[in-house]
Amino acid sequence: MQRVATEPRPDWREHVERDLGFVFHTIDGAPYWDETACYRFTAAEVDALEDATAELEQMALALVDRVVASGGRDQARLRIPEAAWGAIERSWKSAERNLYGRFDLSYDGNGPPKLLEYNADTPTALFEAAVVQWDWLEALWPGRDQFNSLHERLIEAWKNFGIGRRRVHFAAVKNHAEDEGTVEYLRDTATQAGLQTARVAVEDIGWDGRRFLDLDGRPIEVLFKLYPWEWIVGEAFGEHLLAGAAQVIEPAWKMVLSNKAALALLWEMAPDHPNLLPAALEPNLLEGTLVRKPIFGREGANVQVIERDRVVAETGGAYGAEGFVYQAHAGLPAFDGNYPVIGAWVVASQPAGIGIREDSTAITRDTSRFVPHYFE
Amino acid sequence: MKKSKAIRLVLLGGTGLTLAACDEPPPNDARFFASLDECTAVHSQAVCEDALGKSAQTHLAEAPRFAAKEQCEAEFGAGNCETRGEGMGSYFLPMMMGYMLGNAFSRPVYRGPDGGAFTRSGGKFYNVGNFAAAGRGAPFQPGQIAQVQRGGFGSTASAFRSSAGT
Repeated sequence: MQRVATEPRPDWREHVERDLGFVFHTIDGAPYWDETACYRFTAAEVDALEDATAELEQMALALVDRVVASGGRDQARLRIPEAAWGAIERSWKSAERNLYGRFDLSYDGNGPPKLLEYNADTPTALFEAAVVQWDWLEALWPGRDQFNSLHERLIEAWKNFGIGRRRVHFAAVKNHAEDEGTVEYLRDTATQAGLQTARVAVEDIGWDGRRFLDLDGRPIEVLFKLYPWEWIVGEAFGEHLLAGAAQVIEPAWKMVLSNKAALALLWEMAPDHPNLLPAALEPNLLEGTLVRKPIFGREGANVQVIERDRVVAETGGAYGAEGFVYQAHAGLPAFDGNYPVIGAWVVASQPAGIGIREDSTAITRDTSRFVPHYFE
Repeated sequence: MKKSKAIRLVLLGGTGLTLAACDEPPPNDARFFASLDECTAVHSQAVCEDALGKSAQTHLAEAPRFAAKEQCEAEFGAGNCETRGEGMGSYFLPMMMGYMLGNAFSRPVYRGPDGGAFTRSGGKFYNVGNFAAAGRGAPFQPGQIAQVQRGGFGSTASAFRSSAGT
C-alpha cells in the first residue's frame, strides 16, 4: 500500500459535474474529491481487505442473531429504546434484506485490517467510491484494476429485493447536497434494475393515520431512507414505521450494528479476533491508549483520545447523551502526513469494494478528502 | 478483475449534448412512461433503455433552471425539484420523473404540482398525461380525502444541524 502523487485531470471539475452529475466534489470551499494523489495496492493487499470485509460482515450478522436472542439484555446495553426491540426482532426473523454498509478499517498493508467502526445504516461516500473513482481510473489507466464492483452489485441487489411493482421512495433530508447525491445515485441503480422509483424529502413524508404518503398523496410502501433509525425511533412518526407501515431499507435490525456499542459486543463475542480492536463499555476493562466514541455519534464528533486518564485529543460536537464506548487506539497509519481510513463496502452482505478518505489529523471527520485507488 | 465492467448512469450525469430545439409538440405516436418497467411492457428493453438514456441527456442539457428552489417548486410543485452545481454556481431544476418515447422521439417528463406529466418541446411545456394514472402501483383515487400530517420525521437532523449520512 503506497500513496502516489498524481497529476489531476485539467478539466476534472467540469467533467465530473457534467458527465457524472457529481456536484459535491468541493464542500464549504474545501476540496472533498482529491485526485492529486491515489493509493496503490498489491493484489495480495486487496485480497486481505476483501477477506477481512467478508469475515467482519459474517461476525456482524452473527452478532445481530445473538442480540435478538438475548431477550432485551443486549438491546439495553446497546441503549436501543425498548419501543424498537419488537421491530428489530421481526425484521431479523423474517429475514428482511439489507442493501449496503461500510466498514471503516485501519490498514497500512501490513498485518490484518482493523475495524474502527461499522456504518451499517446510513453510509455515504458511496457514489464517489462506486462511480467517480472508477471513472477516474478508466480515464487515466483503463488497464489497471480497482477493488470496486459497487455499481454492478447495487443493481443486482435491487433485483433480489422482491419489490416487484411496488414503488420505492428514496428519502434524504433537505438541503444536503451529499445526502441528496447519495440517494439520487441509489435511485439511479434501482431504476436500472427496473424498479419504479420516486423521491421524497424526509421532512415531507406524510401520515394519514394508516399509511405513509408522499407529497402527491401516493402511498409509500417501500422506503429507502438515508436517515438513521436511532433518530427515527425518537420522532413523531417513528412508532408507525416501527409498527411496519412500510418496508424500510435499511431494515430495522441494522439498529444493532449502526450503534457504536456494538463494537464492544463484537469483541465480547469474538475476543482477540485479528480484525477487531479491543472494545468495551467500561474504560477500566481495557489497557493502553483508548479512544472514547459516543454510542450514537456521527462524523467523528465528540471523540476523545485518552492516555493514562488524560485526554490528549478531542473533537467537539453535540453527541454523547446515551453514553460512550471505549476502543483500543489503533493509531491510523500516516502517509506523507495524511491519515487514510479505508471504507470497505458490502452490498447485500458481500464485499463490493473500497473507498479511501484521508484527513490531516488522526480523527477522521466530515472534512476528510476522498482519494481514489487502484491495484496491480 | 475486481472493478465494474461498465458504468452507465440514467438519472445522474449525461454527455452534455445540446439538442436543437424544435417548435413541434410531441408527435402523436409518442407515449408517456413513468418508469422503465412501464416502457418495457410495450417496447423492448433496449429501446426503452436507449430512450431513457437520451431523455436523461436532454434533461441535463435543456431542463429549465432556477436560482431558488422556491421558484422551481412554484412551477413544478413541492418536492419535485433538485439542486445541481456548487456554491455560487448552484441552481435548481425539476427532477426527471419519466419520459416520452415515440418514433425517433424521446424527451424527459416532469411532474407538475397536481401530479400532471409535462414535457418540453421547443421551449413550450405540453401536458402529456398524469403520474397518478400512469403508475400501476398507485391507482388514482379521485375524491379520497384524508387528513395528512407532515413533519413527523426530520426533527433530529435539524436539531443537530447535521447531514444524516455517515
